[in-house]
Amino acid sequence: MAGQGPARRRRASRLDPARLAALTVICLLLSGTAGAAAYFFPVVVAGVGQTGQTVVVPPGSSPNARPTPSAPPGAPFTVLLLGSDDDSKFQADHVLTQSMILVRVEPATKHVTMLSIPRDLWVPLSTGGSAKIDAAYSYGGAAAAIATVQRNFHVHIDEYAWIGLKGLIKLIDRLGGVDLFVTNPVLDDFYPNDIDVKYIYGYKRVAVLPGAQHLNGAHALEYVRSRHNDVNGDFGRSARQQQVLLAIKAKATTLNAADLPDIVDALKGEFKTSMGLDRVRSLLGVAASFDLANVKQVVLYVPAFTNYDHGPKYGGQSVLIPHWTEILAVTRANFP
Amino acid sequence: MIVRRIAAILFLPMMFAFGAGVYLYLGTMKSKVVKERAQLPTVTKPRFVLPGTMYVAQEGRLFKLSAGSFSEIGPPGDWSQPALTPDHTKMIAVSRSGFYSDLYLLDLDGHVIKRLTKDDSRIIDGNHWAFYPKVSPDGATLMYSFDSPKYGYQVDMAVWSMPLNGTQTQARRRTTPNDHTGGDVSPIPLAGGGLLFVRHSIEASTAVTSQIYYQSRPFAIPKALTSEADDCSQPALSPDGTQLAMICTGGKQTAKLEVAPFTGNALGPAKVLLDGRLFAAPAWSPDGKALAYFAPAGAAGHFQLWYLALPAVPPSASASASTSATPSVGTTPTVRASASPAPTQPVPVQVTQGVDLSATSAPAWF
Repeated sequence: MAGQGPARRRRASRLDPARLAALTVICLLLSGTAGAAAYFFPVVVAGVGQTGQTVVVPPGSSPNARPTPSAPPGAPFTVLLLGSDDDSKFQADHVLTQSMILVRVEPATKHVTMLSIPRDLWVPLSTGGSAKIDAAYSYGGAAAAIATVQRNFHVHIDEYAWIGLKGLIKLIDRLGGVDLFVTNPVLDDFYPNDIDVKYIYGYKRVAVLPGAQHLNGAHALEYVRSRHNDVNGDFGRSARQQQVLLAIKAKATTLNAADLPDIVDALKGEFKTSMGLDRVRSLLGVAASFDLANVKQVVLYVPAFTNYDHGPKYGGQSVLIPHWTEILAVTRANFP
Repeated sequence: MIVRRIAAILFLPMMFAFGAGVYLYLGTMKSKVVKERAQLPTVTKPRFVLPGTMYVAQEGRLFKLSAGSFSEIGPPGDWSQPALTPDHTKMIAVSRSGFYSDLYLLDLDGHVIKRLTKDDSRIIDGNHWAFYPKVSPDGATLMYSFDSPKYGYQVDMAVWSMPLNGTQTQARRRTTPNDHTGGDVSPIPLAGGGLLFVRHSIEASTAVTSQIYYQSRPFAIPKALTSEADDCSQPALSPDGTQLAMICTGGKQTAKLEVAPFTGNALGPAKVLLDGRLFAAPAWSPDGKALAYFAPAGAAGHFQLWYLALPAVPPSASASASTSATPSVGTTPTVRASASPAPTQPVPVQVTQGVDLSATSAPAWF
């Protein structure tokens, strides 16, 4: 017995090459996984924190509305895109939605329809009373915005995505800017000067010159946000917003998985969506494959779909009165 | 035991290094759109040596391209839209601040000779924009787009003219833009006092169109040379004044680079030289046989300088255009631009790579 001790120790201290190789592979796998996990950790955090947001939409908000989530994978689905003013003017999650765009995605046919909802549209809110539709989110968050749109437009919304102004700037900058053809000079002497400044109620002058160009985030925001000198006001702005969305889409199709941490970092705290990671992934897949020729853009302009009005019954505001017969015909045709 | 300890000691840094390596490797896998950043022209080498000398702008800085290399000119600031005087001894450029822009007369090395306009004000909406400077063929008159008069929210640019050797108080408005459209831009003064410019209009359906107009004299009713449907802008007149290059979109988000014969007050049928990309800011070569323009290249989408040698124009084409084009007063074009492509398609050559030239500042080339 006494003689076996040193022999066992010698055997134990000798490393078998096969075991050593296996150990090396395991260690490399573990460390590689740890490195990849560290790289994608922000994506996982954002996936948990910013996607899959649960919204409880009041039942009966639309004649054919169903509670979210609904559309199975691969089926057509409708997303309500919400873009908000600088949050610091408002309490968190009580912001106005300057931009509301209904997007219907048909993965099978790779068709996309975008319908811009004018922010000044005077509608009954799901939370009670009537107001401009951009107030719905401020009164009841995404659920109220969805319910208000569903109730008034008779559409079913499967998902929503909300982005703040700073998030849009950062997103476009992380994409390296967007290329688009600016259709006319966008000049505005009363453009809100509320990004990264102490006094958020000031104004500044902006001038985005016409022609094809590469716009960074700040300039792209000026292009989509300015409305004072557009003869069509908010409608012109809506058309420009759709244009920039398509430019972002064009840029986003060149992204890959390794870009996700940067994109997530850009959108930190500035983006929320009800879509789970699966839906986001399938949406990105659709975005990568559909053609711009298959995108239908709808704007509810005056006088065909709306008309201007103002007065005490609207709280002294200038508002847009919807022509529901025409609007519902359009929504029925494009958002079945 | 000792061997195991040594192995463990060796394995730990190896694991750490490999994990870090994977992290860093993933970082290198980012797509070009995320990681590619534009370089200044001066640190790049053009792929193609252009004839003559060209001035371009990037990120508010002016660059001179001569003999196949870039050099930066001009004082610090936010400079753009260089335009040469007809004798090619000076240039006008736009200097932009946050709330206003001014026109400056510079020498060809970028030294300021004279501030031509004073558009700043302490009241925000009292500031003005001045863009698109161009000097008349006789060198006496400066034309530019200027946002005056303004009324409340309405800020539209009109074409203004002033003596190049005079002061801004002598400036006079030449055009009356459509309200709330952004207005009239890209003036080209013609010999004899005529003017080419681009006018914008916006329909209730939110469709925005631009048209190239001809105006014979100040405040004369301008005549549209291109149709609304063609949506043409960014005109560039050849050195001999007989051809007009322009960018037409047809209301789409891609553009065509077209050239049409110009008789002095009318356009002949246009030839589509290039189609299907975001072309911008054409400029003629000094000999009138080629065009330079900007278009995106690569995944990042930054605008690069391109060169396009033009196919020889059959003599009959310009002759028939000049005889058939009849000037008339109105807002509809007399000669509708043809969308048919040129028989022999010229091949563009990419001149720069990795830069991000300002596509709203047409090259000044002589």
